[in-house]
Amino acid sequence: MMKKTGFVFDEKYLHHKTFNGHPECSERLKVIIDGLSKAGLLEQLVPIKAEPANQRWIEAVHNIHYIMKFEEACLWGLPDFEHQDNSICRDTYDIALLAVGGVLKAIDAVMNREVKNAFCAVRPPGHHAEANQAMGFCYFNNVAIGARYLQKQWDVQRVAIIDFDVHHGNGTQHIFDTDDTVFYYSIHEHPSFAYPGTGREFETGFSTGEGYTLNSPILPGRGDEEYREKLLSDLVPAIDKFKPEAVLLSAGFDAHESDLMSGTSLSTEGYDFVNDTILGLVNGSAEGRVVSVLEGGYNLDILPMLVANHIRKLMEI
Amino acid sequence: MFVFEKMKTDLISVRPETKLAEAKALMQDNNFRHLPVVDGNDKLVGIITDRDMRDAYPSSLLTEEAYQRTLAEVMQHPVEKIMTRDPITISPYYTLQDTLLVIGQKKVGALPVVDEEGHLKGIMSTRDLLQAFVNIMGINEPGTLLCILVTEKTGQLKRIVDIVTEENVSMGSVLVARDWAQEKRAIFPYLLTNNVMAIKKKLLEQGFELLDPMKWYLDQLASK
Repeated sequence: MMKKTGFVFDEKYLHHKTFNGHPECSERLKVIIDGLSKAGLLEQLVPIKAEPANQRWIEAVHNIHYIMKFEEACLWGLPDFEHQDNSICRDTYDIALLAVGGVLKAIDAVMNREVKNAFCAVRPPGHHAEANQAMGFCYFNNVAIGARYLQKQWDVQRVAIIDFDVHHGNGTQHIFDTDDTVFYYSIHEHPSFAYPGTGREFETGFSTGEGYTLNSPILPGRGDEEYREKLLSDLVPAIDKFKPEAVLLSAGFDAHESDLMSGTSLSTEGYDFVNDTILGLVNGSAEGRVVSVLEGGYNLDILPMLVANHIRKLMEI
Repeated sequence: MFVFEKMKTDLISVRPETKLAEAKALMQDNNFRHLPVVDGNDKLVGIITDRDMRDAYPSSLLTEEAYQRTLAEVMQHPVEKIMTRDPITISPYYTLQDTLLVIGQKKVGALPVVDEEGHLKGIMSTRDLLQAFVNIMGINEPGTLLCILVTEKTGQLKRIVDIVTEENVSMGSVLVARDWAQEKRAIFPYLLTNNVMAIKKKLLEQGFELLDPMKWYLDQLASK
C-alpha cells in the first residue's frame, strides 16, 4: 500500500477560462496531463476524485463577504475580480471550490493512508489569495484551507507549508502570521524585483506567531547555488525544530531559468535538489505525509517535465 | 509632491521658557527626537533635539548623588538656554525632492515647516520622508520591477510605456539610473501586476535588453 502517490485532476479545472494570452491558462494543466501520460507516470498514480469543497472549509480561511463578492463577480460574468490580473469567467467560482475540494480529498487520502502522498494538479492557484482579497491569479488559498482542514478535521496539531513558487505566498503568510501551529516557509525571487513585493528576510511573524514564518529571498539571476544554500541553512533547521506532523507544498515551477515570469535561474537539476531536500525533510519528520499543490509555472514547454520530475520524487522512483 | 501633503501636523511644541524637565518628558512620552520651540504667536524661535538634551546632562563620572542633584538643577533651566536658534526650516511648498536634498546637505534629522511669516505649520522628519518615498516608489502595492537597459537617445521611455499600455497594465513608478553604463541608461518600471510575461516578450521582440541586476553588478566588480 505504501509508496503510492495520489493524483488529483479534474477536466473541469480547464473550465476556469482566463483572457486570451493570460499566463495562468487551461493549457498549463493540459500539457501537464499530456506530459505525465507520455512519461508513463499517469497510470502509476492513484486517481483521487475531487469534489467541490464545503463552504465551511472556505470560511475557515476567507471572510464570508469576500466569498460572496467573488461568487457574485462570476455570476455577473465580470471579466476580472479585484484586479485585472485576476481574470475570471462564469465558472471560476465553482472551479475554485473544486480546486480546494481536490486538495481536501488528497488530504483525506493521505491521512487515511490510502496513499503515501499526493500531488494536486489544480487551478486556479491559491497562495497569493488573502483572507479577504484576490491577488496574483488566486481566489481561494488552497493550501491555507488545507492546513486548517488538517487541524480541524484530522486533529493534526502542527502543519508546515513549504512554498517554492518563485513568487512569495503573501496570502498564506498573512493568514498564519500570528499562528504558532502553522509554520510557513517560502523561497522566492527577491521582493524588490518580483511580485508581490513581500517576503523579506525580516518578515518572521507576529506575536504568538513570531518565528513561525521564514522567508528566503533569492536575487534575480541567481539559481541553483543560492537555492541550495538557503534551503540547507534556513529550511532544514527550521523543519527539524518545528517537527510538523503533516506538510503541504505550494509547488511552483516558475523559478526555472526558462520561465519568463521570473528573473531567477534555477535549472532542472536545481529543481531536483529542491524536491530531494524538501521530501527528505518530510520523510524524516512528518512520516512522509505530504500533499503537494500546484501553484505557478508558466513556460508550457518546460512545465510538464518539471512536474513529472517532482512527481517521480514523490513516488520515489 | 509637496511637503504640506506629507508633513506631520499634529504638533507638540514648547515655549522658550518651558523647563527642560517638561521638554524631556514630552520627548520621551511621544518618542520624539525633535521638539520645535515657538513664541506666544506660534512663531518658530528654535528647536531642541534629544542630542541637545544629552549635552546638557551632567557628567556620568559624577557620583550618583552628585549626578542626581546636578540633573535636578539642570532640569530647572529653560529650553531657550540649549535650543538651536533660527534652525533650518522649509516651506510647506517645498517639494519632497527639495527636502531630500536639504536633509542630505544640512545633515539634520528633522525640519520644521514654517509659513512666510515664520509660523510653525508642521515638521518633516527623515522617517516621514522615507515613508513618502515608499509611496512614490509604489512598493507598498504588489507589483514587479523590470530592469531594462536602453541606449541613451530620446523616445526610449515612450516605447516602453507604449508596450506597458498596450498590455493594459498600471505603473507604480519608473526610476531611471543615469550612470548605469557608458551611453546606456537603465530604466526600472515598477508594474502593478504579476502578469509580466507578455510585456517582457514584447520588450525582447523590440530589441530591448532585460537586465539581470546581479549579473551586471558582478560583471562590474570583475572589470574593476
